Amino acid sequence: MLKIDHLSKRYGETLAVNDLDFEVTPGVVTGFLGPNGSGKSTTMRVIIGLDHPTQGRTTIDGKTYDQLKAPLREVGALLDAKALDPSRSARNHLRALAMANRIPLSRVDEVLEFVGVASVANKRVGGFSLGMSQRLGIAGALLGDPGILLFDEPVNGLDPEGIRWIRDFFRSLAKEGRTVFVSSHLMSEMAVSADQIIVIGRGKFITSGTVDELTATATGTVYVRCADATRLTEVLGRLQGVCEPVNDNGVSVSGLSSDQIGEAAMAAGIAVHELTPQRASLEDVFMSLTADSLEYGHREAGVTP
Amino acid sequence: MKVAPTLADTTRSEFLKFRTVRATFIGLATFVVLTIGLAVLITLVIKSNWSQRPLAEKLAFDPVATSLAGVFFAQFAVGVMGARFITSEYASGAIRTTLAAVPRRVHLVLAKAIVLLITFLIASEVVVFIAFVTGQAIYKSGHLPSMSLADGTVLRAVIMAGVYLTLLTLIGFGLGLLLRTTSTTISVYVTVLLIIPIIVNFLPSSWQDHITKFLPSDLGASMLSPTSSTRSFAWVTASVVLALYTAAIVAIGTVTLVRRDA
Repeated sequence: MLKIDHLSKRYGETLAVNDLDFEVTPGVVTGFLGPNGSGKSTTMRVIIGLDHPTQGRTTIDGKTYDQLKAPLREVGALLDAKALDPSRSARNHLRALAMANRIPLSRVDEVLEFVGVASVANKRVGGFSLGMSQRLGIAGALLGDPGILLFDEPVNGLDPEGIRWIRDFFRSLAKEGRTVFVSSHLMSEMAVSADQIIVIGRGKFITSGTVDELTATATGTVYVRCADATRLTEVLGRLQGVCEPVNDNGVSVSGLSSDQIGEAAMAAGIAVHELTPQRASLEDVFMSLTADSLEYGHREAGVTP
Repeated sequence: MKVAPTLADTTRSEFLKFRTVRATFIGLATFVVLTIGLAVLITLVIKSNWSQRPLAEKLAFDPVATSLAGVFFAQFAVGVMGARFITSEYASGAIRTTLAAVPRRVHLVLAKAIVLLITFLIASEVVVFIAFVTGQAIYKSGHLPSMSLADGTVLRAVIMAGVYLTLLTLIGFGLGLLLRTTSTTISVYVTVLLIIPIIVNFLPSSWQDHITKFLPSDLGASMLSPTSSTRSFAWVTASVVLALYTAAIVAIGTVTLVRRDA
């Protein structure tokens, strides 16, 4: 069980992670979602012992990472695919990792074969494309056959075929009962690849749940096209509905259901030509959840300081 | 339950890393060529103008130290290699992969230090013995005074020349742990070995007598000279002082590595 226990991490003036507290359950793919700079990578760096927490801790089955005797046999992580010596071959890179953790060297060729880089195993990794480096990084994460896997923005640099491969791969890892924790700043990616999603912004926990649960929390809008949009706006305004003009005779209504809108329009004698409930997309949910926690937002766009 | 890895496993892993990059072999080749090549060059020059030398100079001639003079150039090659064994990991980012595999950072330092110690002790001893034997052969061919390894103090001087280079490799490594970037580490290393002696040279001579003998290069000179001078330490003391410097720098570097974020 991977546990983030009231974790805070400060770099100088910046509080990168602010009291994060959650558990990542085995058997499902857990998405770790947040805008760039929200503290996802920092959290992952603390999990694998690279950075020291300012407060709190992260544990793997109750132990901190540096208490693990053979960490690669318990946690496999791909944080930065380019974090390796460019002049060493892929095979030697993995052999060094295997030796340090007493993993049989036969496992090196197995994982190279599995991720599809066996044909370039003896080439210097400096010449690898980002996609190939990602695959090698995945091979490194799988080397010790660990129960917990961490991936930081894994789809970056992958071609569409690779993205599809990696999604299926995460599912199969989770099906084997492993903990799969995947970060991304792309809601659309998480929507298709994760079962469970944890949303953070500015280092703080925002919400968590399944994709369906997250979309259900957001109230949708209703698109109404009618003969007199101005009067309808007036009528619905009295019922606390908020109308935003979409086109000449169409408005987008929030705060009221389509039933309420239809009845109010009939009572006021306004002919309704179209009444369509719009379900909030996961993207909208994400935008509204993190709107006030964007590190580098667009809120001040157009404002000249 | 599978067996937990030990320091021996970490050391094997680091040794594999050491020998699977081309820079290691380029560095070792540079080191060998510098030490032996300079021994050949210096002894040949001395041999060719021996007859023009005044008698006093001939009497003060040290055939051992002159044949080992390449050591004071090679010390830069080995220091850079020692430093790069850790700084190159910071440059590429590979240190993060390394620390994820070996979170016990003291183990990592010990493993890397063992690899450097073994490799450079063997390489340095081989190189200084070749340099010495070649130099003496050149002196002998010109009928200059020459020394034999059968002489105990001579044997000791040659062995200590190799020890000196090994310790300097580890000093480079320790500075690398502390400073993390190759360029800064090399700057500091060169400052300690070359610039500080120049500055000390400008101090009043009464001060110099007390300070000079503590400088690494002077400690080295004491270690690889068969004779001893009153102004410097005896070879045993010099070796101990240099070993203490090395231990202190590596220890400070280790504490830095353990405390800081990777």
